[in-house]
Amino acid sequence: MAGMSRRGFLLAAAGAAAASALPIPPPRRRLLQMNGYPIDAETPLELLGETYITPNDLFFVRHHWNPVFPDAATWALKVDGEVERPLALSLGDLKAMPRASATCVLQCAGNGRALHRPIVPGVQWTYGAAGNARWTGVRVRDVLEKAGLKAGAKHLHTFGTDKPPEKVPPFHRSLELDKVREDGIIAFEMNGAPLPLLHGAPARLVVPGWAGDHWMKWLDRISPQPSAQTGFYMDTAYRFPKNPGEPGVTFKPDEMSPVTELFVKSNITEAPPRARVGRKATIRGIAFSGAPDVARVDVSDDGGKTWAAATLGKDHDPFAWRLWSFAYLPKAAGKTTLVARATDSRGSVQPKDAVWNQSGYFYNAWPSVEIEVSA
Amino acid sequence: MRLSRSLAAAFGAVIGGALLLGQAAPEAARETPPPPLGTELGELPAGAMKPLADQACLHCHSADMIRQQRLTEKQWTAEVAKMVGWGAVVPEDQRAALVAYLLEHFGPDNDRFRPVAAQPVGK
Repeated sequence: MAGMSRRGFLLAAAGAAAASALPIPPPRRRLLQMNGYPIDAETPLELLGETYITPNDLFFVRHHWNPVFPDAATWALKVDGEVERPLALSLGDLKAMPRASATCVLQCAGNGRALHRPIVPGVQWTYGAAGNARWTGVRVRDVLEKAGLKAGAKHLHTFGTDKPPEKVPPFHRSLELDKVREDGIIAFEMNGAPLPLLHGAPARLVVPGWAGDHWMKWLDRISPQPSAQTGFYMDTAYRFPKNPGEPGVTFKPDEMSPVTELFVKSNITEAPPRARVGRKATIRGIAFSGAPDVARVDVSDDGGKTWAAATLGKDHDPFAWRLWSFAYLPKAAGKTTLVARATDSRGSVQPKDAVWNQSGYFYNAWPSVEIEVSA
Repeated sequence: MRLSRSLAAAFGAVIGGALLLGQAAPEAARETPPPPLGTELGELPAGAMKPLADQACLHCHSADMIRQQRLTEKQWTAEVAKMVGWGAVVPEDQRAALVAYLLEHFGPDNDRFRPVAAQPVGK
């Protein structure tokens, strides 16, 4: 990297194949590990906004328990339930089908849990349980057509090979068939490389715009069914209040519904700690949403009374994140707090405060950063 | 039963070792390398309840999962009840003492946990 400005390098890297673009040098190539086993580790905030594509080795890892890694040679994706012809598709069978790709954000529903107040139990994710990657595989809809999907199926039940210890409930999930037939992918590649074991090899589900709990890793069975899956990970966990309540007051199950689409959100990933009056100081960040596009990102230096538009990065894809930057011109000396706010293509605006919930899902309050401005 | 712990440690050692071979960059060599992903960051604090907590909790997850929590007595009581329901073996007459131990070390003012920078893995 010597002799090349960071910006120059990023521009050069943007032209290279995503998986081989490695602008982040080894000392900074790290994950923040929350849990030794099962592995839970997030990407440091300052690395999130450096590249449009999150490299595989810096992508957050979230395991519910020590995984059972399938043997790709004998692995098969079983398709049963409301289908004419139950199937067992090998990796070779999948690779022989028409390919589909999506570049989009995968975010853990609990990303930002540590920022909720009052504090809630669970993995204390801050910012980096999210990443943007190019996922390649086959369309769920093509697999279901191959099996002959019957009318009447409304939900896709999904199963992975990871098994919990003893009495712990299994991580069995389902999601609306309409959504997964629209743009769901069974992915066996991540950023042009074979899907890493830690991320669900040989194949995982990709559900653009929806929270990570739907993206079943080590996927080995899909089953269209008339009704939704039941169990702890459907009926108790991964549910979000239908209406905001009083922070700290626990919601009852019928006051909540399953988490699905991500909430509109921006983060500030880079900001200078100090600046001078009359000299531009550039802050950078990321923004994404469960809507296909981010329409704008704005920055305020007066707590949200007035806003100025940030510049959105060139790279964008449906349900991917958008890099952004903002050249702030300090007008007066002293401590200045900048806040950012994203607006998506459906008009949803990132709120000042997140909706508190006892599981700590979907934290998306305005991010802020403090800059010491001197004369 | 420590099978899950040793498996996790072996897994961490394998991927960590592979990384050390592949990433011997001069910049990285100057600083102490962070532990490989999958290394337990710390253990539960000493105390009369430590053996019980180790036995009841660490079969399924590392001590890190507990060390990062900052919970009230009510929340710890609920967590322990949930985990007992999921198979954690805590004798009924020791549940209150276990909750007290967790609250003492990992109550709302707990700010000792720092996620370490772990070597990333790509494969």
